[in-house]
Amino acid sequence: MSPTDQLYERLRASGLDFFASVPCKLLDGMLKKLAADDDILYTPVSREEDGVGILAGAYMAGRKPALVMQNSGFGNSVNAVCSLLNYFKIPVIFVISHRGSPGEPVEAQNGMGDAVTGVMTASGVPTISIDHPDHLQQIDGEIAQAYAEGRSLGILLPFSFWQV
Amino acid sequence: MTGLVRYQIFEKIMDQITDELVVSTIGQPCQEIFKIRDRPENFYMLGSMGMASSIGLGLAMSTDKKVVVLDGDSANIMNMGAFATMGFNAPGNLVHIIVDNEANGSTGFQPSFTARNVKLDQVAMACSIPNVTLIDQADEITPALSKALAADEMHTLVIKAEIGLMPGIDLLPLGALEIRDRFMKVVQS
Repeated sequence: MSPTDQLYERLRASGLDFFASVPCKLLDGMLKKLAADDDILYTPVSREEDGVGILAGAYMAGRKPALVMQNSGFGNSVNAVCSLLNYFKIPVIFVISHRGSPGEPVEAQNGMGDAVTGVMTASGVPTISIDHPDHLQQIDGEIAQAYAEGRSLGILLPFSFWQV
Repeated sequence: MTGLVRYQIFEKIMDQITDELVVSTIGQPCQEIFKIRDRPENFYMLGSMGMASSIGLGLAMSTDKKVVVLDGDSANIMNMGAFATMGFNAPGNLVHIIVDNEANGSTGFQPSFTARNVKLDQVAMACSIPNVTLIDQADEITPALSKALAADEMHTLVIKAEIGLMPGIDLLPLGALEIRDRFMKVVQS
């Protein structure tokens, strides 16, 4: 299975059932899978903060939501993360292609690539980095822990994960 | 102009609400709604200005219940991309109401973009929201809302308002988890 297929299977197995997305080149295959899956609710969103709001609504209606996005977009979301998700203890799983990680060809991605872990941690969203598809099994426990604590989780997927 | 300030428009709206879920934008509008008619079906979004429309869309996509978003003009402009996401999905159980007082009410009534030339009803139309109504007469509010609540297509109502706050409002006596838990209970019932 491709890294995309393994990731998607693992996310679905963990019960996530409402997805919002903002595109990234590394996520292209993932976005096609989301659009083709009739067993989930899914919408592309205008920007990441819009997605945070939509997923907060979905959570309160009983869904298990995830935002599929590039790391640069976390910077667009910080206020909604802190004053909506954290304030009301609403867990959203951020599934993030980590641009600016080793292998990045676009220099302009490096700034947010370097900052994202610190920004997320400071925003009350712990992160894990999955550097190879073989390590995906740790996602289940991390998602369960985030739900137990009523907080969000960032799953960072660097270039090494995508094997491109 | 309708000649009504925001809370007088909220009073008319909350008079017509039965079992709908209501998502209210930001601090002072939440305080006004709380004082007019507190109920577990109200979600008071106390922070995250701009997010009410997005929250309402996520709710409407996830439940069959009717969802009414009470939004403001400046909050809307802060999250203008949500118009596109709402128009793209346009769930039939979503009613998006923008009370447009052409000002930033909570911060001293600085004029907003709509005070000069920005037209939110036209943004909504350009984003393909199926039913968009601009309301500038007070007696149009009740019939327009009745129609929107009874419909099975998404509606956006832009209601023009005068500047002003409800007298005697105060911080909500509810904690975040209290607001969340009682709201989630009725959403999922």
